[in-house]
Amino acid sequence: MLAYVLRRLGFGIVVLVGTSIITFIIAFVVPADPAVTIAGAKADPQTLALIRTQLGLNQPIYVQYARYLARVVQGDLGRSYILRQSVTRLIAERFPATAILALCAMALSLVLGVVMGVVAAAYKERAIDNILLVVSLALISLPVFWLGTMLLIGAGFYLRSFPLGGFSGARSLILPTITLALGSGGYYSRILHTSLGEVMGQDYIRTALGKGLSRRQAMLKHAMANALLPLVTLAGLDLAGLLSGVVLTETVFNWPGIGRLAFEAIFNLDIPLIMGTVLFSAFLIVVANLLVDLLYVWLDPRIRLGEQP
Amino acid sequence: MRNADFLLLCALLLAVAAACKSGPPVQFPPGTRVLWLAAADDVPTLDPAVGYDSASWAYEQAIFDTLVRYGDANVELQPDLALSWEISKDATRLTFHLRRDARFSNGRPVTGADVKYAIERVLKPSTRSQGAEYYRGIAGAADFVAGRARQVAGIELPDPYTIVFHLTGPDPIFIHKLTMPFAAAVPREVTEKWGEDFSHHAVGSGAFKLSQWISGQRLVLVRNPYYFAGGLPKLDAVVELTGVNEELQWLKYEAGEIDVSSVPSPEFPAVMKSPRLKALTIHNVTVTTNYLGMNCQMAPFTDVRVRRAFNYAIDKEKLLALLNGRGVVARGVLPPGLPGYTPDVTGYPYDPGRAQRLLEEAGVRKGFAPVLWMRADQTMLLLAQSVQQDLALVGVNLVLKPVAWGPLLDAVRQPHNTQMFMLAWEADFPDPENFLEVLFSKRQWRSNNDTFFYDPQVDRLMAEAAPIADLARRFELYREAERIIIGQAPWVFLYHPVNYLIRQPWVHDYVINPMRPTRLEKVWISPH
Repeated sequence: MLAYVLRRLGFGIVVLVGTSIITFIIAFVVPADPAVTIAGAKADPQTLALIRTQLGLNQPIYVQYARYLARVVQGDLGRSYILRQSVTRLIAERFPATAILALCAMALSLVLGVVMGVVAAAYKERAIDNILLVVSLALISLPVFWLGTMLLIGAGFYLRSFPLGGFSGARSLILPTITLALGSGGYYSRILHTSLGEVMGQDYIRTALGKGLSRRQAMLKHAMANALLPLVTLAGLDLAGLLSGVVLTETVFNWPGIGRLAFEAIFNLDIPLIMGTVLFSAFLIVVANLLVDLLYVWLDPRIRLGEQP
Repeated sequence: MRNADFLLLCALLLAVAAACKSGPPVQFPPGTRVLWLAAADDVPTLDPAVGYDSASWAYEQAIFDTLVRYGDANVELQPDLALSWEISKDATRLTFHLRRDARFSNGRPVTGADVKYAIERVLKPSTRSQGAEYYRGIAGAADFVAGRARQVAGIELPDPYTIVFHLTGPDPIFIHKLTMPFAAAVPREVTEKWGEDFSHHAVGSGAFKLSQWISGQRLVLVRNPYYFAGGLPKLDAVVELTGVNEELQWLKYEAGEIDVSSVPSPEFPAVMKSPRLKALTIHNVTVTTNYLGMNCQMAPFTDVRVRRAFNYAIDKEKLLALLNGRGVVARGVLPPGLPGYTPDVTGYPYDPGRAQRLLEEAGVRKGFAPVLWMRADQTMLLLAQSVQQDLALVGVNLVLKPVAWGPLLDAVRQPHNTQMFMLAWEADFPDPENFLEVLFSKRQWRSNNDTFFYDPQVDRLMAEAAPIADLARRFELYREAERIIIGQAPWVFLYHPVNYLIRQPWVHDYVINPMRPTRLEKVWISPH
């Protein structure tokens, strides 16, 4: 197990280095002068030349990359061209807001998905199953920016029940959480519904039913653990995506998270910030993948990671 | 269930962490006079040596003081830290007498040495200040920048409350460069303590001091108890909520959560139809010219007839209609409100017939398809599509190329690269030099003269005008240069934007300055 984790961490480092190289090259070939981004449209050539020299922008790309990498391994992701602050500090400041939103949204979407999926599977091919199918498809189809705006206008502006955006305590979390969770909740319910349907048809479930267990008992006690496996994979990867920032939701709700930070960085061609947020997202995805694999073992003791059959 | 427990535990832990990071909620005791504002973008910096954008300047000018400043609603010079000043006849020596009651928000008195230090800090290459270029004309600046001198010899301090600037040559607009926050007095001990983080620990002598700044959330300023002007500021605090998009700003305005807001385009007609809301709008013509540049070194724009034809072909009134009337048609380079502007300029009226004849004379064939570069922005795209339609009527098939801001700036500065582009220029100083010299002299090729325009007579007139302190003569020369530029038509002169804001009925004396962000010292709030 330890060897497996170490090997996966090694792969993770390779992925991160690869990501940094690709991002660095993309940033390098974009036809924009970082000195102009820093100095602004009105800067004179002397100022631009000075900035290029100071930042080492005149040096070959591999030298610039090596210097960047040397700083990154020490935890220094550089300074934002536009916000003039340490990128590491900016990410550290913004990540908690994204994390709390992502975890709440994930928790709500899992609750929604599991409840709807189990109910639909329990009443398979009956009216309630069909109704839940329509509901889940509707939830999946709702565009986040539309749903968020409607919730803000309806619940925030007209009903005055929730704050109009911003990050100011638990109540401000509710509308963005709902916005993010509804779509994935609907999706998870369909996954679980299908997965439960397959597991319920297996021999060991028939045996359990034959021994006198009710369908509900067989589903919850025996089928659920196996049916949850595909959901764990999906939710783990979704969580990594959510933790990397949710641009639309954060923008609509004025949520001070990583997504908005990354969006603004891209819009302003703030290369150190783009590099920092991309690397951070890649790191989260690598970690999430590893955690999902470990969670698999926890959920299904038959799985032995890294061991030959 | 174990999964759910685990996730809930994580959520709880992060909620605590997040709550710590978000800081205490903004709450003020009853009766506190607070102005609530909102903006889409974060304030980039509060370090006056670094900031060079209106979001930073809005708050820098609230926290810091310069020797001189502009009026609240105009661009006339007024005393700030300096009570009085003298400028030598040849405009090479400026003497300022500072007030003795100015103090930083930490209680320390402000002296001339703080202004000198601030300018030296801007000039220091390691600061990478965008403002350095404005102070290179001070005697001794070159030696200081090159590391040959420990201080700028041309900034003299005969006593703590007098500061004298010696310039290497006549510069009648140097005093305007001292109104920029770059030249604001900063306390050396605080800047040296915090280094690059001074922005988050800014200490100045302005009407307000920094109280709280949480990236992506809010900036809170409170009154500076040591501010020299008695009775000011009239507000106890200013809160700017950051990251609030325009639509959300409008909802917050309508809900009474913010006191001043921009008006989103879709709401603008309804606002202007409502007498109640219209009365609450504030507007001012900005000292800005939006233009469509044509590269004078790239055929067929090397031919003045083609450039003139494009001027006649584009309907500027239609562009203003698309902006809901938020602009004034530009007839020349200089915007109204800029000293030296003359309303006598006629420019190019909309005349597609004449445009077509000029294009035929110049031998431009139907189907000519130049590329128009512009910022990938919804409004710019809308305007560019209107230009595209107008040019189609005269047989030109304009190709639109929307790109991000950085690549656009990079592209237009390359010679023989962009045939046409849409940009705007906003004045830094109220003087024609800031438009004409910067945008049309050959010295500015590969810098800000992006049309690569060159006219020897224009360059000569501008060189003659630059050192002249006599405004009548100076403006006369610049007007002549502008007249030639309009005739040569390197730009299609589009419009001067009008800035519209809307305030709540309880907000008073909130005025828009045509060139600088609104000053907040005199803004007041009635009980509501």
